[in-house]
Amino acid sequence: MAFISTNSKIRFFQLVPLIILFYISLNGISVIDLKFFSINAHYILVYFWVLRQPKTLGYGFIFLSGIINDVVFGLPLGISSLSLLAVAGVAAYVKVVTVRISLFTDWISFIPALLIANFIYFIALYFSDYSINYIFLFKNSISTFIFYPIFWVIFTLLLNLIKN
Amino acid sequence: MDTNRDDFGIAVRSAFLSKGTQQKFSLFALIILSIIFLLIEKIETKPLNYFRSIVKDTIYRGSFLASLPMEGLHSILDGSVKHITIYKKYDQLKEENNLLKNNISKSDYLRLENEQLKKLVEEDMNTSDNFTSARVMIDKKSPYLNSFVISSGSNKKIKNGMAALDGQNFIGRIVDVNFFSSRVLLISDLNSKVPIIVEPSGNQAILSGHGSRNPTLEYLPENYEIKDGDTIYTSGKEGIFKPGIPIGKAKLEKGTVEALLFSNLNQITFVNINLSTSNTTK
Repeated sequence: MAFISTNSKIRFFQLVPLIILFYISLNGISVIDLKFFSINAHYILVYFWVLRQPKTLGYGFIFLSGIINDVVFGLPLGISSLSLLAVAGVAAYVKVVTVRISLFTDWISFIPALLIANFIYFIALYFSDYSINYIFLFKNSISTFIFYPIFWVIFTLLLNLIKN
Repeated sequence: MDTNRDDFGIAVRSAFLSKGTQQKFSLFALIILSIIFLLIEKIETKPLNYFRSIVKDTIYRGSFLASLPMEGLHSILDGSVKHITIYKKYDQLKEENNLLKNNISKSDYLRLENEQLKKLVEEDMNTSDNFTSARVMIDKKSPYLNSFVISSGSNKKIKNGMAALDGQNFIGRIVDVNFFSSRVLLISDLNSKVPIIVEPSGNQAILSGHGSRNPTLEYLPENYEIKDGDTIYTSGKEGIFKPGIPIGKAKLEKGTVEALLFSNLNQITFVNINLSTSNTTK
């Protein structure tokens, strides 16, 4: 009985990142917009889990959550999926080439992920004739990078719960 | 050098082409799929439009359901705050009620006079038959686009380009129509450009959205004669919206003319869609 209980707890914790991924997409809260700064929780979530435990967040789910995000925000279908998959791609690459994982290496390698994802976002929006506030996008990228360690600590705790 | 390049190639192949444990799709395949989605976004064919409508309607319903717990929590909090301030508001409302009672007879007379004058200039009158009302279903505060989703679509004969009103006031236009839902692009959005006329000066301009800031008037004539408090209406010059729909009041601010909107775009629950637009695009 205790074994079943522990097993179901682990399974639940494994599903938490996936639940968060779809919850923030469906609720349109993937970009946490606070008064002075905003954080793209979507990028952080995808980057961390693809880097640390890829089996928790399948690429198909990431693609689907991007499509949901586009529909909810009224963006052309495929933009968020593409940028999220770019983040996942960089994370997968970093996972292949990195031997020792630490907050610092994760954090630094998050910079190219953000740059590539935002570049794709910018190009796709440009060719879709959509105007967005690019200053906001720039500030958002900076604060997403700055706040990465906080999410890293929270997600690492969750990861330890899953592993234990 | 060659070894480094080989290593890089192997790592990229491993990251993008291999599926990994419990992955059903490779990253590369999904990236290609996303690009295909983006490319077909601009193609307007009946099967694709049906597909998009079904996908969007399904996601909107899902989003609506997913946001229910959060909205429930918000309404409980709002209810608590309102309950605390109820006595103060009661006195204010009592005072306002007395004032409004005095004004009712005056406004009835003005409405009658207005209708008679409109008949005189043979302007077609907007009747309630030309409108359809819809509830705001999803109002996510997107940092990029100022828009919301309403609960009516092509089932209520809504088409792209139609004007969305809050009561009698213009607040935006329809930009995306599905079977049971549509998206309203608000006039505060960066992508919103609406031809307007300012009364009483009669100056014409384009009302341009700026996201979080108030919309401003662009392409005004050089010697414009706009004063604070002048009223801004749709001009109907683009041939889509009816002319004379009120938008807001003009406010001169550091060399630009801002529009103080009559409607608070954050507090809209129901919208009226003007179905009698002169030249709607499908």
